[in-house]
Amino acid sequence: MIRSLFILFLFPGLGFQILCGLAFEWMDRKLLARFQRRVGPPWYQPLADLIKLFSKEDLLPESASGLFEMLLPLLSMSAVLTAGLYIPIAGFTSFSFEGDLIVIQFLMSVPTLAYYLAGIASVGIYSIIGGGRSILQYLSYEVPLLITISGPAVMAGSWSVAEISQAQATMGPFVIFQPLGLILAIIGLIGKLKRDPLDIPSASSEVVGGSLTEFSGTKLGFWYLVMDIQAVVGIFLLVNLYFGWSDFSLPLLGIGIFIFLCLLMVVILSGTSAIFARLRIDQLAGLGWKILVPLSLLQLGFVILMGV
Amino acid sequence: MNKISIPIGPHHPLLKEPLSMNIEITGEKVLGGSLRLGYVHRGIEKMATQRTYVQDVHLIERICGICSHIHTTTFCNAVETLLGIEVPPRGLYIRALMCELERVHSHLLWLGILAKHVGLDTVFMHAWHDRELVLDIMEGISGGRVSHAANQIGGVRFDISDKQAEMINVNLVKLKQQVSGVLDVIENEPALQARTQGVAPVSAELIKDYCVVGPVARASGVDVDMRRDDPWSPYDKLDVKVITRPEGDAWARTLIRVLETRESLRLCKILVEDMPDGPVSVWASRKVPEGEVVTRSEAPRGEVVYYVRSDGSDKPARLKVRTPTLPVLSLLPVQLSAIHVADIPVVLAGIDLCVACADR
Repeated sequence: MIRSLFILFLFPGLGFQILCGLAFEWMDRKLLARFQRRVGPPWYQPLADLIKLFSKEDLLPESASGLFEMLLPLLSMSAVLTAGLYIPIAGFTSFSFEGDLIVIQFLMSVPTLAYYLAGIASVGIYSIIGGGRSILQYLSYEVPLLITISGPAVMAGSWSVAEISQAQATMGPFVIFQPLGLILAIIGLIGKLKRDPLDIPSASSEVVGGSLTEFSGTKLGFWYLVMDIQAVVGIFLLVNLYFGWSDFSLPLLGIGIFIFLCLLMVVILSGTSAIFARLRIDQLAGLGWKILVPLSLLQLGFVILMGV
Repeated sequence: MNKISIPIGPHHPLLKEPLSMNIEITGEKVLGGSLRLGYVHRGIEKMATQRTYVQDVHLIERICGICSHIHTTTFCNAVETLLGIEVPPRGLYIRALMCELERVHSHLLWLGILAKHVGLDTVFMHAWHDRELVLDIMEGISGGRVSHAANQIGGVRFDISDKQAEMINVNLVKLKQQVSGVLDVIENEPALQARTQGVAPVSAELIKDYCVVGPVARASGVDVDMRRDDPWSPYDKLDVKVITRPEGDAWARTLIRVLETRESLRLCKILVEDMPDGPVSVWASRKVPEGEVVTRSEAPRGEVVYYVRSDGSDKPARLKVRTPTLPVLSLLPVQLSAIHVADIPVVLAGIDLCVACADR
C-alpha cells in the first residue's frame, strides 16, 4: 500500500514527473536561448510561470463549457503520468506487463486528441484551425512513429518496455542496429510534442495560439504542464528503447549514463528546434507519408531480416 | 468544406503595426482577403502645413520608425531645391551614409521578422543582434538609435570625427562578416527555402500595373532603383549595383534584401573612405520662395516621393508624401489567393510592410 502510494505520487509518479517536466522546460529554454545568443531564464522560471498561470483569472468564451475544458488537460495529464509509470527509470521498474509498449503509445496519444477537442470546444476561429491541424499532424507522424518503435520490440522479442530495456544489456544498445529508427522516433516525438519545426498546430504567426488561444489561467497552466511531462515521458521511452539499461558493477555509473542520455535527448530536441524552420502542414504530410513511412518500414524490415 | 473568415489584425501576433485583414479560408486553403487601413493615420501631411519648414523636418522624421532618415532627406532635398541652395559635399556624404546604414538596419530587421514568422527564431535573434551593430554606429554619430535628427535644411546637424570614422569602419567589418554568415545560413537552410520558394509569385507585369517599387519589384525582375535612376549627389559618383531576381516569390525577396544589405555595406565603406573635407551645412533662409517641387529617393522599401508647394511663407502650402508601402498593400489581396494559411505570414513578411509610412 505504502509502496504503491510512493510509486504513484513520488517516484516515478506525479512528483518526479512534474519535477522532471519543469527541469526539462528550463533546460530546453536555456539551451535554446544560448543557441540564439540570449541569456535565457533562471532555473525557477518554469515553476514561477506555472504559479503565475495558476493564480490568474480563468477566462473562456461563453459558449465553451468550463468543466469540459478543465477535464481535458487533467485527462491528458493522467494519461501521460500513467504512461510514465510503465517506463523504467534508470532500471527501476514500477509496473510492467507484456504489451505495455502499446498501452504507452495509446496513452501518449490522448493529449493530442484532447488538444483537438479543446480547440473545437473552445469555439474560437484560431482554435478550430489549430485543432484541425493537430489532427492532420497526428495522422502524419503517428504511423511512422508506431512502425519505428516496433523495431526494438521485434528485436527484443517482447512488447514490454522493461524487457526491451533489459534485453539490451546482453544484446547491446539497439541504437547500433537501428540508428535510422532512433532518428525517425525523434522526429515522431517532435511531432507528438508539437515542438518547433513541427509546431504547426500552435504556430503563433499563423493561428495565434492554436487550440489553446482561448485558454488562460489554471487550464493553460495545466496544458503547459501536460506538454512538459509528455516530453519527459517521451524522452525516457526513447532512451529505454534505443539505449537500454545496463547494470554496471559501479552502482552510480548506470544512473549517470541514463541521466547523460536523457540530457543528450534534450540537447537534440533543443538543437532541432533552433536550426529548422517550421514546415507547412502539407509539407509535413508529404514528409510523413512519402519519406518517414517508407524509411520506418525499411528499418523494421531490416530488424526482421536480422532476426531470421 | 465550410468557408471561414479569419480576422488578422488590428491586433495579431503576426503584425507589428495595426492593419486589419479578413481572410476567407476553407480548410488550409486561402480563397481571398480584404484589407482595411488607417489605424495609424496621424494627419501628418496636414500638420506639416501648420508648422514651419524647420519644425517640419522633425515632424516628418516621425512618419516612420525605421526609415526615418530617408523621409527627412527627401523633404530637405525638396526644400533646398526650392531655396536654390547647395549642400556642401561633406554634408551630402553624411546624409548618404545614414541612408545606407538605415537600409542595412531595415533589411536586417525585416530578415528577423521573416525568420520569426516561419518559425526560425535563431535567425531572428542573430539578425537582430547584428542589427545592434548598425544601431551602435548610428547612435555613435548622431546620438539617436532610430530617430537620428541628422538632417536640417541646408545640410546635416553634426560632423563625423576621425575617431567616429574609425569606429564605423570597425563595426562595418564586423557587420560584413555577420551578414555573410546570415547569407550562408539562409542559402543552405532547406526548411526556409521550402517555406519561401514558389510562394505567391508576382509577375513583372502585375508589379508594373500596381506601380510597386523597391525590393518587391526587383524580386520580380523589374529593374528600378532611385539611387541609380534618379541619383542625388553623392549617389551619382557611386556605382550602385542594382540586384534583381526573376522569380518574384518570397524566396527571391529574401535573397534580394540580404544581397542588398551586403551592397549597402560596401557603399558605406566607400562613403566613409571618400568623405570630402569641409563644412557640413550652409545657412538657409526660413522663408521659402514660391514654387513647387517633387523629389524622390530610394527608401529601404522602395521609391519615396515628396511633393512640396510653397506660397512664399515659412510654412509649406501643401506637402504630399508617397511611400512605397501603399502600392504593395494594394497588391496584397491579389497575393492572398491560392495559397495556404501557413503562407499568409510569409507573404505578409515578404513585402516588408510599413503601415506607419502608408497611413501617415
